[in-house]
Amino acid sequence: MEEFKNISGKNPFKVPDNYFEEVNRKIISVTVDNGSERNKVSISRKLRPYLAVAAALALFALLSYSGFYFLSGKNIDKVPEITLYYFSENYLNDIDILTLEENAGSIENDMARMSLNSNEILDYFALENIDINDIY
Amino acid sequence: MTARDPENDITELLRTDINKGFRIVVERYSSKLYWHIRRIVILHEDANDALQNTFMSAWRNIENFRSESSIYTWLYAIAVNESLAIINKRNKYAATSLDDLESYFTNSLEGSTWFDGDEAQLILQNAILKLPEKQRIVFNMKYFDDMTYEEMSKILNTSVGALKASYHHAVKKIEYSLLYG
Repeated sequence: MEEFKNISGKNPFKVPDNYFEEVNRKIISVTVDNGSERNKVSISRKLRPYLAVAAALALFALLSYSGFYFLSGKNIDKVPEITLYYFSENYLNDIDILTLEENAGSIENDMARMSLNSNEILDYFALENIDINDIY
Repeated sequence: MTARDPENDITELLRTDINKGFRIVVERYSSKLYWHIRRIVILHEDANDALQNTFMSAWRNIENFRSESSIYTWLYAIAVNESLAIINKRNKYAATSLDDLESYFTNSLEGSTWFDGDEAQLILQNAILKLPEKQRIVFNMKYFDDMTYEEMSKILNTSVGALKASYHHAVKKIEYSLLYG
């Protein structure tokens, strides 16, 4: 046991020359000289409770809305609402102006063909036995 | 007139000027911590990694440091954890069992450029390497660093009674190892 006591406290290990100067420089360069890292961690840690509350509220709102939407049955038989803007944009634009003019022309021709003189009108009343006083 | 406690000065400086305070902490404690770490992990390369990880971890968590314990005790606790993390990593990747790890360390010690001990010191280191991990840490803290059981208790979060028992068993095992190999 004498040998055990004699070697007490002696350090048998070695390090490269100037090791501590170099390692200190390295440690300081990645910590103190690069101080933003600690601050970033600090800010995120400070914000963590607020972010957790915000996430919980968002989840609660989403679940409430989903529950209300499905349980109220509002999603069933829902008729899509067409706004005036939607109608004018989607329906009027589909009408071909050339077709419209063509149709308008044929109506005018029919009206011209149907023009009657006063004698023909009187004959029609007589034929149908319509008293002129019933009209006025 | 009482002498000012340098630990209190550093703690105060960390509060008022964290950059300057931390710089002083690194310069003051890096070599002391290195030798603690080195006795646990044995290899210089591993000790170098563990030391840098210790200060990186301390820097990231400096706001969690409570001045009830000394900055050195706090750093020592981080260093022990970082050393154990390195040993576990080596155990996982380099060796298949604890016996293999022990012989790996023994071989590394004998052939290492960074081991300067005589034969007696080599025998002692080999005997220490045969101890279970926790016992080895307790033995190093008490035997080489002359730490009190109360300080060790704060660092290792273990009762004083358990530490005394652990050290006693470690000494007995080392004595046996030195006598019978």
